[in-house]
Amino acid sequence: MAQTVTTTKTLSLNDRLVAGVLALVLGSFLIFGVGLAHSAALHDTAHDTRHSLGFPCH
Amino acid sequence: MIVRHLLAAMVAGLMAGIIMTVVQQARVVPLILQAEEYEGAPASPGDAHQHGASLPSSSIGSLVAQFSPISPAMAHEHEGEEESNVLFGLDRLTSTLGANIVAGGGFALLVAALSLLLGAPVTAANGWIWGACGWLAVQFLPAMGLPPELPGFPAADLAARQGWWMATVLASAIGLGLIAFRRELPFRLLGLLVILAPHVWGAPPAPSIETAVPAVIASEFAVAALGSALVMWLSLGVILGYLNDRFEKAA
Repeated sequence: MAQTVTTTKTLSLNDRLVAGVLALVLGSFLIFGVGLAHSAALHDTAHDTRHSLGFPCH
Repeated sequence: MIVRHLLAAMVAGLMAGIIMTVVQQARVVPLILQAEEYEGAPASPGDAHQHGASLPSSSIGSLVAQFSPISPAMAHEHEGEEESNVLFGLDRLTSTLGANIVAGGGFALLVAALSLLLGAPVTAANGWIWGACGWLAVQFLPAMGLPPELPGFPAADLAARQGWWMATVLASAIGLGLIAFRRELPFRLLGLLVILAPHVWGAPPAPSIETAVPAVIASEFAVAALGSALVMWLSLGVILGYLNDRFEKAA
């Protein structure tokens, strides 16, 4: 019992929300840059990654 | 503690990106290179003069074209003549490795975000399920409408496809979440409906199905792309779970 409590209680609800929102924003930013941004430099750099991960391209 | 969770996601993404790069080089990248040899060639001999006519001519299309990374001139240039804008002048393998690592990190952060917000930890034991659901939501389900494209494929307006793609990823994630986290039948049926909705709406159709890229290369590529993405997602989920378990024990 004590163990199940520690796994869920290591982060308080507040910390969990802060970490979750932070990860959501940072993750979306990275995915937008690598997969969706229309910048020519980003497109050319991530070209093969975009094609192989099925991002709409060209 | 917050930093620890973000760090676990970034390390898992880094490793998944490296694994992805190795898997990609086996099949996906050679097929892209092969397809690029046909890119810009007319789909059929009599088609050459019509090629420009198939480009989007609407005002929205031309507006989007201004922001599009591929100018018509660039898209029609032959391989080797293409002017490259790769960041830092990296070679192709290094830039792809970098992009894969960033993509892996981004996906891992999004998985971590969902796990934190839902209060459902990713562990070494359930990591593969998170990875499989990520693959379904981001790769397989969107691919039902917009199959993995090779250079040289005819395709609908880029902004329209990106819009449908993002909506489908979001709907698939919500639908899978409803099915995975709710026991009640009505919620699970709702989840299924949410998953199906973008497909009922329909992906933006390609303006033509003519392409100079051979069909065999295209079908080999579709399977190779989805397969290598599955390897990336499964390793991402399992590694993230393993790191979470390790950090949990250390704490």
